[in-house]
Amino acid sequence: MTKGGDLAAMEGTVRAGYPAEEKQGFGQKAALWIFRAAALITGMAVFFPPANPGRISEKINEAASLFTTGVSRGTITNSMGRILRSQWIQDADISLLMIACIIVMLGVIACCAGACMSLGNRKMKRRGLLLPLCGTPAMAAGLLLIRRAYGNMLAHGEEVGKLDTIKVMLPDGFTAFWVLCGLLFATALTAFLTTRPEKDPAAKMEMDEKFRLFLMMLPVILLSFIFAYLPIWGWRYAFFDYKPGGTIGPDNFVGLKWFGSLFNDPATVTDLVRVLRNTLIMSGLGIATSWLPIAFAVLLAEIRSSKFQRTVQTLTTIPNFISWVLVYAIAICIFSTDGFINSFLTNVLHQTGANTNYLQIADHTWLKMLLWGTWKGIGWSAIIYIAGIAGIDQQLYEAARVDGANRFRCIWHITIPGLMPTYMVMLLMGIAGILSNGMEQYLVFENAMNKDVIEVLDLYVYHIGIGQNQIPLSTVVGISKSLIGVTLLFAANGISKAVRGESII
Amino acid sequence: MRNKEKENTTHIRRTAGDRVFETAVILLFVLFTFICIFPFYYLLINTISDNDLVTSGRVNFFPMLKDASGGGVFGVQFNNYLALQNVQDLGSSIIVTVARTVIATALMVVTSAWAGYLVTKQKMWKRSFWYRFLVVTMYFNAGLVPWYMNMLMMGLTDNFLAYIIPGMVAPYNIILVKTYIESIPSSLEESAVIDGASTLTVWRKIIVPLSIPILATIAIFGAVGNWNSFQDSLLLMNNRPDLYTLQHRLYIYLNSSSNLGAMMSQGGTVSEQAAASMLNQRVIQYTVSMVSIIPILLVYPFMQRYFVKGIMLGAVKG
Repeated sequence: MTKGGDLAAMEGTVRAGYPAEEKQGFGQKAALWIFRAAALITGMAVFFPPANPGRISEKINEAASLFTTGVSRGTITNSMGRILRSQWIQDADISLLMIACIIVMLGVIACCAGACMSLGNRKMKRRGLLLPLCGTPAMAAGLLLIRRAYGNMLAHGEEVGKLDTIKVMLPDGFTAFWVLCGLLFATALTAFLTTRPEKDPAAKMEMDEKFRLFLMMLPVILLSFIFAYLPIWGWRYAFFDYKPGGTIGPDNFVGLKWFGSLFNDPATVTDLVRVLRNTLIMSGLGIATSWLPIAFAVLLAEIRSSKFQRTVQTLTTIPNFISWVLVYAIAICIFSTDGFINSFLTNVLHQTGANTNYLQIADHTWLKMLLWGTWKGIGWSAIIYIAGIAGIDQQLYEAARVDGANRFRCIWHITIPGLMPTYMVMLLMGIAGILSNGMEQYLVFENAMNKDVIEVLDLYVYHIGIGQNQIPLSTVVGISKSLIGVTLLFAANGISKAVRGESII
Repeated sequence: MRNKEKENTTHIRRTAGDRVFETAVILLFVLFTFICIFPFYYLLINTISDNDLVTSGRVNFFPMLKDASGGGVFGVQFNNYLALQNVQDLGSSIIVTVARTVIATALMVVTSAWAGYLVTKQKMWKRSFWYRFLVVTMYFNAGLVPWYMNMLMMGLTDNFLAYIIPGMVAPYNIILVKTYIESIPSSLEESAVIDGASTLTVWRKIIVPLSIPILATIAIFGAVGNWNSFQDSLLLMNNRPDLYTLQHRLYIYLNSSSNLGAMMSQGGTVSEQAAASMLNQRVIQYTVSMVSIIPILLVYPFMQRYFVKGIMLGAVKG
């Protein structure tokens, strides 16, 4: 037998091993993918409060998803105490609603399981597609029951004359679920009918490993999507005149008005100039002192007692692991009116009238914030350089000494160049994050005196967004910050690639 | 290392300049180390001294108690710590913080170990895309307010789950685990697969036990992060003061202008009330601060072993 024959035979067995790889028609493929996408969307809609088909009265908690409506009576009824006590909505209707929601959910679960199984071989696909064919009727039955609970509430409300109070309605989610239910049924049926049954009775349900691994990964991907990507959906508030508790729609669409206000509105411009000045100065000071950890590491390495080195490293790293709130507590116990400095001046140096609250003094705020940041972070930041120094080849030092280099020449010509690559990465990341100082440090140290000089961009967004409820404006500032941040990161990465031939991300 | 020291002492003559330099450097480090740890010591002695002496500012370097004549002598007392049980709302925030630290850290570690293992699987459908999908979230966020509106939409405000679920997928930790797993010889896994082990079994019986060092690293850093958490409590728990984390509670104590003594719960025995009246605001602030520092200092020796690993692996590109 020739070699070619071997290969052909092998290919044959490989093909036989994976019957799922057989050609799919375009219609079948499209139906399958639409079905899977629809199942994914429906599955997520179960946990998505705005899509709750069970919110058939405005008095049902707005934050309740379909899942919550099905399992937690307490959550959905927490703002209808009087309505229930007076029997304007009957308990039986709430129970009916909850049962209906559970039935809808069971249907959705069947569809999602079917969507997962549809990635398997022909036998698994056929079996899997049977699930949505049972699940969608269940969904439909559940939705009909919700409709019935709605009808009951409406009738009962009319009877007791309290329709204005109980505000019965059919939510958008109800329509959406009908649409999804129909789509799921149609696509699942198409896919089922176009998938020929497995003729081989011995065939097992199998799934290609690539899809099996993907399905195992899917929960992680979904979590990441919900908490890291879905917030981008919140950017839409930037284009509307939105007030908390209100709605957004065509009637309050304002286009780029809020983006314009960053440049046109005098009050906003004044604020922005001020917070940008604070942000850039504090980030700038941070970048200007970013060599300090290197100095720390280099000097520490010059001490020859390794016990001393370890002790210093251990003790100076502690502040890194306490929160900014605790740093503030420490600031109070050292610098406040009855803190260490004042009591030391009074009781040890016998000065009279030492009762300055140093935290309330706004002078040199930028410098003070830099010093707190350095106090907290330098020991930690130095660790990477200490490790870097340990990784430098000792032969370099020996060779330099043989050539007559003294201590400082060794540092200047060997240690520092050895640490430069790491430093460049840190520096570029620092520049890319120039607008993000975080808000915790400045929030805890903020007071009436230093408000104007301590407010950085992140803190400003918090103040106007959460504090003053100016959702659109703070969203606009946040969007601008995110976009500039990403641009800077790419720029820094580009510089790094051009200069060092290596990317930093 | 030892060789280098020997060489230093034998071959290199130390000049007077060297000695001055070294002494100066040592002094510098002693000073800085003192600045780093003295505040913690000062905080501690203020919580274990006599409260009247603390108020009059006479506790500076040693814990002191009153002697018969009302002067200060060296001594310690722990009544302030016992009296904390009467401070309103403190108990619930400690329980919430401990629960959050344990549950959120455990789930984060499991998720990171699982995801970190799966992204090493070249066979996964669109593997590199999904990996990038996770990693990109480290460098980009939509902003504070959209994030808040998202949490509001998901029903995660005023809800304990807000402390747990969003933190489960930590891309940085996934990269750490992935990098570590890639260094495990693949033959171990292959032999198990040949013996018929499923992906889950391989993960549970081989990958997780071999990745304990990196999992311990992310667990301990995650636990400290959870213990220190403040921002999510501040932003999300507006209507549920019983769900405030310890740091948030401390922040409120630190900023309350009213005397915290008045916040002590009413009732209790006469001796309890006497103990309560002894406490002034400052001492409560200091003692609560100490309570939230102590757990960190307790795990600190364990953390230290993982410092360099934690940082260095982060420098390795994913």
